[in-house]
Parts: sequence; structure tokens; C-alpha cells
Amino acid sequence: MMHLTEEEMIAEFYGESDNPAAVERHLAACAGCAQAFAELKRDLADVNRIEAPARDAGYGERVWAALAPALPAYAKQERRGWAGNGWAARRWTNPWTKGLSYAAACALLVSCAFYAGRVWEQQKQQPIAQVTPKAPQAKQPIVVVVLDDHLDRSERFLVQLKHADVDSAQTAWPLRDEARSLLAANRVCRKNLAKTSDPELATALDHLDSLLAETVNEPGGLNAASIAKLQDEMNADGLLFEVRVLRTRITHPERAGDNPAKGGTI
Amino acid sequence: MSNDRMDRNDHAAIQAVLAGDKEAYGALVVRHSHTLFRVAYRITGNEADAEDAVQEAFLRGYRKLEGFESRANFGTWIYRIAVHCALDKIKRRKGDETSRVAEATDPEQDQVQVADAGAGPERLLLSGEIGSLQMEALHSLTATERTAFVMRHMEDSTTAEIGAALGIEPNAAKQAVFRAVQKMRRRLAPLRVAT
Repeated sequence: MMHLTEEEMIAEFYGESDNPAAVERHLAACAGCAQAFAELKRDLADVNRIEAPARDAGYGERVWAALAPALPAYAKQERRGWAGNGWAARRWTNPWTKGLSYAAACALLVSCAFYAGRVWEQQKQQPIAQVTPKAPQAKQPIVVVVLDDHLDRSERFLVQLKHADVDSAQTAWPLRDEARSLLAANRVCRKNLAKTSDPELATALDHLDSLLAETVNEPGGLNAASIAKLQDEMNADGLLFEVRVLRTRITHPERAGDNPAKGGTI
Repeated sequence: MSNDRMDRNDHAAIQAVLAGDKEAYGALVVRHSHTLFRVAYRITGNEADAEDAVQEAFLRGYRKLEGFESRANFGTWIYRIAVHCALDKIKRRKGDETSRVAEATDPEQDQVQVADAGAGPERLLLSGEIGSLQMEALHSLTATERTAFVMRHMEDSTTAEIGAALGIEPNAAKQAVFRAVQKMRRRLAPLRVAT
């Protein structure tokens, strides 16, 4: 056997060695390890037990007296249905369990609503992904509606950002959430747009993507300074103008003097 | 009171509490509060924190009483909760500490009664110094190491019990004890030379 490690000696000292017989044989045969073990035993024997200050016989009563007012009584057991031992009845009448149950139910409801919203949004965006260059005219109305909706939301977001009272958390959080949601939708639009040839739209969506990403990832959260920085560095006003022009062109192609088929190829 | 009889009394009290008799919990508190105070004090090294940990443990125990397995031992169960509460206390306190060394070397800060049977005045003085140094060494450990060491060295708990109380694997508990012993020995090495 190799020399004992300190870990093995500590385990031996506390009677938890994996192979006590082998350790003892080695200690009997190896003077170096025997000395090291003797030193360990002496060191640990010197570490006295911390003696807790004595508590008188009334200590437990005092603890209970301090606790009792804060404890609600469990509801009396009743034999009900399949639960038989009343466990289920107790579970739901205990105020803590009740509170937790309400919280869990609310969380579940919010999760379901969020999931449903995501699915609905994805379904709305699905037609963009399904558009193929081979049949642009057939898909065009849907694509235009979806893109218009996205640009409409983006426009409203940019207007809100411009006029936001960002010193209020009630304003800053929804703005950031909306930016996050728009960012996801914008990336789907950009991905599909990559297959088409509308450089103006592509540029605007790229610009929008950068602004949204900056808004979502602003380290200190949204405040007057960060908004001013975004407005300045990201040219949010310019983007707002671009988005408005694009919306006009998509929803009223005849006014923009463009080929009506242009928006439909996205 | 024998352990078996205490178990039966504990289970009867738990049934009564769950049936709506809140006062029955008082019997459990009275029966186990001294044990909980002892371990909480050993872990926190502070009477006020230990008393807080005991109260918090019984409070948590009451809230979780429905989940208590009837085959388990209430004493062991509430003991583990108390270890957790004491551990939380020292973790919180460690976060607040700005100067651990200054605090630990203040002889009035951590009054520890070191067991010492045959005592002349010099021996008592030395014993007090040893106690202070030991407390300082304990303070140098992380909260988990300290709890593991106190449970292993002073409470005679097995590594499996330590792991269960700390919510970690037995092997991790074993490692925590090893690290604690190594650090304690290093910190107390000057004491060995002096004596």
C-alpha cells in the first residue's frame, strides 16, 4: 500500500475509512504514516467541543410562547372521498398551501397565455416563411398584411419610445417587453426578406433590428439618458420616418408609384 | 425518556397538530428545543443567532408538517431543519462581515466555553486563548465547511447525515469535512508550537 493521504487519515480518525483493515495494517508497518496520524489525532483531540450556554428548563416553553401566536391551526381532519385520511382536505385548507396554490394557478395561467400568444404570433408570421418566389402573387395579400402589421407595431413602438416618460418603471418595462417581442418578429421578417430583393425594406429592418436589440440589452435599463443615447446614436427619428414611408408604400402602392408586386415578394 | 417512546409521543403530537390541535406542537417544541439550540449555537457561535435559528426551525417545521413522513423520526427531521437555519444565519452574517479577523479576535465577541476539567488560573487563561483561536479558526471556514465540521467533530454525525442535513451528496459532505480539518490544522498550527 502507498503512503496514506491526509484524507484517508481523516476518514480513519472519524471511523469512516473505506478499508479500515488495510489502513491499520499500513499504520502498523509505516513509521512515517503512523507519526503523521498521531499528529492528526493530537490536533483534532485539541479541538474542543463548543459547549453551548446552558438553557434553563423553561427555555422550550419560552420558544413556544414566542412562536404560538404566529401559527395558524391546521383545519380539523375530515374524511372526504378518495382521500380518506383527510389529507387532501387539510392540504387545501392550510392557509400557506392555499396561498401557494393560488400563486401556482396564476403562474400557470400567465404561462398558458404567454404560450398561446407566442403560438398565435408564430402562426401569423408563418405565411411569410411559406412565400416562395415562384408564386408571389398568390401569397401577396397575406404577406402585405403581416408586414404591414409588423411595421405598424414598430411605428407605434418608435413613437412611444420618442415620447416615453422613462423615469417611470411602469413605462420602461412595457417598452422593453414590446421591444423584445418586436425583435423576435423582426428577425423572422428579415430572414424571409433575405430571399427577396427589396433593399430599402431590408435596410430599414436591419436598422430596426439594431435599435430593438440595443433597447432590449440596455445594461442599466431604460431611462432618460439611455433613450437619448438611442435616439441619437441609432437615429430613431430617421427610422420612424423610414417605417412610415415603407408602410405607405406597402399599403398604398399606387401612391408610392412603385410596382405593386414589390411588397409581395417578401 | 427512551427514543422509542419519544418517537411515539412525537407522532401522537404530530397527528394531533394536523387534526387541528395547535397546542400539541408546543410539546414538540419543548421536547426538542434544547438539542436544536445546542447544534445551532455550535454552528453560529452566537446565542442570539442560535435562538433565532431554533425559532425559525420550529416555524418551518410547523409549515412543512404535512409533508413529514410518518415513518421518519421527528427529532432527526427538525434537527436537519435547524442545521439549515443556522447555516443560513452564518451565510447571511458572512455577507455582512467586513472584517472577519477583527471580529473573531475580539474575546467578547464569541464567548465559547471550552471544556477543561483540571484548571488552575494559568491553565484557565490558556484554555480561554485556545478557545478564542479555535473560534477564529472556525470563522475562517466557509459556512458549509464549518457546519460539516461541527456536525462531524462535535455532533458525531456521519457524512451521510451531514449530506442529508446540508442537502448535498455524502461524498461532497466528506470533502467539506476534509477541507475543514485541513484548514483548522493550518490555523491552529501556531498553538501546537506554543504548547
